[in-house]
Amino acid sequence: MTGFAEFWAGRELWREPLLAGVLAGGLLSYLGVFVVLRRMVFVSAALSEISGVGVATAFYVGAVAGIDPHTHRAIPLLLEPVWFSLVFACAAAALFSLRPGHRKLAPETIVGLGYIVASALVLAILNSPRIAQEAHAVGDILFGNAVTVPRAQIYALAGAGSVAVLAHVLFFKELLFVSYDPETAMVQGVGVFRYETLLNVIVAVVISVATRAVGALPVFAFTVLPAAAALMLTENMRSTIPLSIAFGVVSAAVGYYVSWIEQLPTGATMVVVASVFLLPGLARLAKRSTV
Amino acid sequence: MDLVRLERAVIGYRTPLLPPLDLSVRSGTTLGVLGPNGAGKTALLKSMLGLLPLLGGRLLFPRGRPPRVGYVPQRDRLDQSWPLSVLDVVLMGRTSLLGPLRRFGPEDRKRAREALEEIGIGELAERPLYALSGGQHQRVLIARAVAAEPELLVLDEPTSAMDPAAERVLLELVERLKRAHNLSVVLVTHQLTAVAGFATEVALVDRARGLFEVGPAREMMTPERLGRLYGREVRVAELDGQIAIVIARAADRDDGRGRADGRAPEDVG
Repeated sequence: MTGFAEFWAGRELWREPLLAGVLAGGLLSYLGVFVVLRRMVFVSAALSEISGVGVATAFYVGAVAGIDPHTHRAIPLLLEPVWFSLVFACAAAALFSLRPGHRKLAPETIVGLGYIVASALVLAILNSPRIAQEAHAVGDILFGNAVTVPRAQIYALAGAGSVAVLAHVLFFKELLFVSYDPETAMVQGVGVFRYETLLNVIVAVVISVATRAVGALPVFAFTVLPAAAALMLTENMRSTIPLSIAFGVVSAAVGYYVSWIEQLPTGATMVVVASVFLLPGLARLAKRSTV
Repeated sequence: MDLVRLERAVIGYRTPLLPPLDLSVRSGTTLGVLGPNGAGKTALLKSMLGLLPLLGGRLLFPRGRPPRVGYVPQRDRLDQSWPLSVLDVVLMGRTSLLGPLRRFGPEDRKRAREALEEIGIGELAERPLYALSGGQHQRVLIARAVAAEPELLVLDEPTSAMDPAAERVLLELVERLKRAHNLSVVLVTHQLTAVAGFATEVALVDRARGLFEVGPAREMMTPERLGRLYGREVRVAELDGQIAIVIARAADRDDGRGRADGRAPEDVG
């Protein structure tokens, strides 16, 4: 049996994870255009860590309350790690939208602080004796694995994606204006905080949901690499956005296929494929710099 | 009639930058806000526009609503590497006119192109932002402000990093736009010539000296007042109907003479 035939024969196994990868790749590479242009690439990494704090906190609170996390049905809705994860990520997104008005605290400093504090909190909580036995389960919830993806996570991704697409269809001109020139947008009465928060919350929700489905590394990579590759090759948003989405989707699909055939780690293979798309842009840059 | 009025306004980020001040932007006037670098000009501008909350006093809009503002920010604050065409940027000026949930239509594109034509760069509409020169980029930002159909045009250091000829052309363009659209203009600058030739009213600002004075340009652009602002001897003369201003070198104070070529490092009249 050839490689592809073998792959095709196993479609019952890869259908959900591949779909999750493609959805995450497409969504994140679209949002990534805004993230990269706004010079906030570490937002993705920070939000992923902060949503992790939410998950770890949910387990910790459950342990303090004496709820056995192994009996899933026993977990009250309010202690669902997913809700904690979303609430933490959205709160951080709103925080990142604030303009500190302090010359020494640039937005990327705030993002960096969020990342550092969240990383430390996750480590501290996961190493707490109260939830030591659940640490592995928490890790799975935090970072997914891109190999097996429950159908519920695909629905969650599709739902988050629908909200993101709808918000961008309705408010694209405002989101573009406040991202490019917030000062002028503010002078002209466009609600800068409102739209920046909307954009950051959408990014937070998609990252939080996608991290559980495909893992932290591919999520960070899909938010940065396809957009960076597309930006190096295009000169207007009408071509940048579709090209970035195409790079993200193809990276997820081809990465998954290659990882299956070559028995490589799925998330890492997706990232390697995504990074290949940087090459044409880098070649173009090199050509320009030698002229 | 006043478009914007500050009454006993205390401006600053956490602590006051200037003494409490009164300032009005009157309809049809050009207000020049003049001061050295770091004088508090931008803070004053932001306070007038309601972007920086006052620490005291009041910001009033005597017509019952804030004026529609066309804003030209400092060019170097914007990233020219964004994948946007000139038309994309000019269309941004129409965002608040259109309101949320609506896309730019043919009428918006027509107005944006008209604004570009009026500024004299109609042929650049489809050009990517990164391919523009500094002067062209500045004009695009002015076209965006015009596309917003403003009542008040606000320019923050529009002529910084321009040579004197380009500066002159740009200021004449602003003057032409003012007349054509019956605009009020606020021009924030540290360049004396920009204010001398074009402002009808002038505000002198310097936080280091706790200085704020405002009045008609002729009364404000005097050697005494400008000398207080810059802490140096200043000479003002009229040449061919234009005002020439020279800030003396430190040595000039002693012999009472200006430079032979009439130029000074700070400014050229």
